[in-house]
Amino acid sequence: MSSAAVGAVIIALGAAASLTGIGVIVLGLLGRRPGWWRETRGLVWAMLAMSTLAIVWMERALITRDFTIRFVADHGSSQTSSIFNVATLWSALEGSILLWAFVLTGYVAAVVVKFRDKRDDPMMQWVMLTLFVVCAFFFLLMVGPSNPFQSFDPPVGYDGPGPNPLLQSHILMAFHPPILYLGYVGFTVPFAFAIGALVTGRVGEGWLLATRRWTVIAWGFLTLGIVLGAWWSYETLGWGGYWAWDPVENASFLPWLTGTAFIHSVMVQERRGMLRVWNLSLVVATFALTILGTFITRAGVLESVHAFSESSIGPALLGFFTLIVVVSLGLIAWRGDQLRSPGRIDSPISREGAFLANNVLFAAFAFVVLLGPIFPLIVEALNDDRISVGNPYFERMTMPIGFTLLFLMAVAPVLPWRKASPGVLAERLIWPAWMGAGAMVLSVLVGARGWAPTLAFGLGGFAGGAALRQVVLATRRQGWRGLVGRTNGGMIVHVGVVMIAVAFAASNAYVRQDTFLLAPGQTASFAGHELTFEGTDFRQYPNRSERRVAIDIDGEQVYEPGIALYPFAGQRIGIPSVRSTLFDDVALSVDSFPVDDDGNETGQVVLRVTVQPLIVWLWIGGLVMALGTLLAVVPGRRRNPTAPVSAPLPGAEPPATAEPVKELV
Amino acid sequence: MTRRLALWLGVAVVALSALVYASVDEGAPRTDADRAYAIAKTIGCPVCNGQSVAESNASAARNIRVSIAKWIDEGRSEDFIRAELRSLFGDDVDYTPSGDGVTSLVWILPVVFGAGALAGLVIVFRRWKSEALLDASDADRALVEAAREARDDG
Repeated sequence: MSSAAVGAVIIALGAAASLTGIGVIVLGLLGRRPGWWRETRGLVWAMLAMSTLAIVWMERALITRDFTIRFVADHGSSQTSSIFNVATLWSALEGSILLWAFVLTGYVAAVVVKFRDKRDDPMMQWVMLTLFVVCAFFFLLMVGPSNPFQSFDPPVGYDGPGPNPLLQSHILMAFHPPILYLGYVGFTVPFAFAIGALVTGRVGEGWLLATRRWTVIAWGFLTLGIVLGAWWSYETLGWGGYWAWDPVENASFLPWLTGTAFIHSVMVQERRGMLRVWNLSLVVATFALTILGTFITRAGVLESVHAFSESSIGPALLGFFTLIVVVSLGLIAWRGDQLRSPGRIDSPISREGAFLANNVLFAAFAFVVLLGPIFPLIVEALNDDRISVGNPYFERMTMPIGFTLLFLMAVAPVLPWRKASPGVLAERLIWPAWMGAGAMVLSVLVGARGWAPTLAFGLGGFAGGAALRQVVLATRRQGWRGLVGRTNGGMIVHVGVVMIAVAFAASNAYVRQDTFLLAPGQTASFAGHELTFEGTDFRQYPNRSERRVAIDIDGEQVYEPGIALYPFAGQRIGIPSVRSTLFDDVALSVDSFPVDDDGNETGQVVLRVTVQPLIVWLWIGGLVMALGTLLAVVPGRRRNPTAPVSAPLPGAEPPATAEPVKELV
Repeated sequence: MTRRLALWLGVAVVALSALVYASVDEGAPRTDADRAYAIAKTIGCPVCNGQSVAESNASAARNIRVSIAKWIDEGRSEDFIRAELRSLFGDDVDYTPSGDGVTSLVWILPVVFGAGALAGLVIVFRRWKSEALLDASDADRALVEAAREARDDG
């Protein structure tokens, strides 16, 4: 049996397990075999085993260069270094779907373990059915249009081209896609619970409490995945940028936006029992957007540097996306009566009022991010005009939203539930406000100009101050426990967001770039830095040749940007080199090596230099957000969500104590 | 004047002064390279998939960068440079959508969306405000009382 056939059998067995799971649960629901569905656990383990085996089988093929599998023949190479050999799996379509299925079955297995005591709960039946359907979709994709184990008959001495050279030039490529997938795929779990809740009519808060940690974990991975992607693009593409509002970047950002909105608005439902339809819609939207994002990346409908080559899985993904949206909206409409909120929000100036505003802003943000990439398609369909919607549009439209979100981030954490008096707000916000003003003064003193970045620094200081105030108060009260739990971890996440916002504003407003023609020994001065061209070096590697130039920055250290030539792939890619400090980054990349009229090289180099302030805080901010998420999922001091904590109703006796009524739950 | 009011006035004065100073004072003048880079970031590379001229290493992108630098050197305006590039490579090289015709919708729709959401919120809050507060019935009070007793006993 050939390697490809073994792989195909593994995938087919996985698909069979998922389809059997669906069949067993449906039979149970029809009342034919009511007890069977509880035994679907074994099928989940079978799916996980098959997806794991498939991954191992593919990695074995990549590492041993088994070119009888077409995926390895198309994307593997005997010249690729070992770490990128492993990462080749997710450098192309079929492997990335395989990774998706692996992560998905892992999550499903975790659900089975976590909820093992709830096996008799009818809601779990629907949760498992939803999860099996999603698994079956991905397994069937691999059986059909995205088969990773197609066979290939390699000629004698065949060697593959290896993955795209850009994808094997930086170690971050080994981490960014898997972490992103852990985020994307993780949203399947809250989606499945939302469907389970809708079908069984248990649309209260139970399903939210059961899945909120899953949502936060998925969100944390998605955040880290996006930041690592930005970091990768900054380190490897050589133009000093990290976020280009590219359709694929937008596709990953959309579920992040709706997921962030959900994480906030869910607290209103837990506390007040409100916003049920809205929260369900956000969960569905987040999951549906991960599928839509996959469609955009994989189907080649939009032009992007990230997009994989055109493939035939587009219609399948679009069909699945439509199914998710139609079924979910149908269920929400069906349960409309039960979803009506029992409560109301007393005052817009309250914690829940701030969460509502937060959600409106995130929804508007998502609208802009979605409209931008699809608008050119609409215009082209309407009147055959070709237009582009690029970074100037996104920056202009999202800037006011970003400012307002920063302002909310400052005010919301100190707002009490129900109603806030101006006196309380003035008391709690004064020191954060001073931090904001201090940040503005400091930025002006160090030479920053322009109203927009200065306002961003001020609001950043304000929001950061408010988050730190909460952390200080909590740690004073509870010691180290003041750092863990959802609220406290959330404040650490806010600090990370502020770092990113400030770094984003500074790097966008004050980025400077220029090109210099330098002969050996010559020095260029740019943006306060001295760059000396010391010489050229030629290096030969098994899969590429590199031409590096030695550039001394400020007489401190030599950096070596260059150009690499991958003869097999026929590609020439730049190798940027970046000097990072906490204050600014100097990114160097080689534009070209000039030639004279006779075609001989002159020994000079055209060097592109990009200087940006505070870039490193983007990555630090991302790590702080990940750390905050980690702290948020550590159980903190639990407050009973149904405990009476709000203001008493008129005429009612005040509660004897504000302690939660533990026995009731 | 209370201490708190003084602190808030102080913060307002400091923040506003910093903001006004940062807006009015121009700081270091922008160089030609800065202007060229700012334009290049907003022009799409005609042969690359979704990369701007500033981002791409393709020779077409490099040539356009050189042209932009040359035009700026000649003292041409940003509008002239954009129009020239659009006529050479088509409207879709310009990353800034125009405000004319159907294209203007891309600017208008998000504003309509935002305004609609805001209006929706205002209406909802108004309705909530006009609704009478729910009164707890005797049955509700009995339920709470029973719960309290159960807790105290426990």
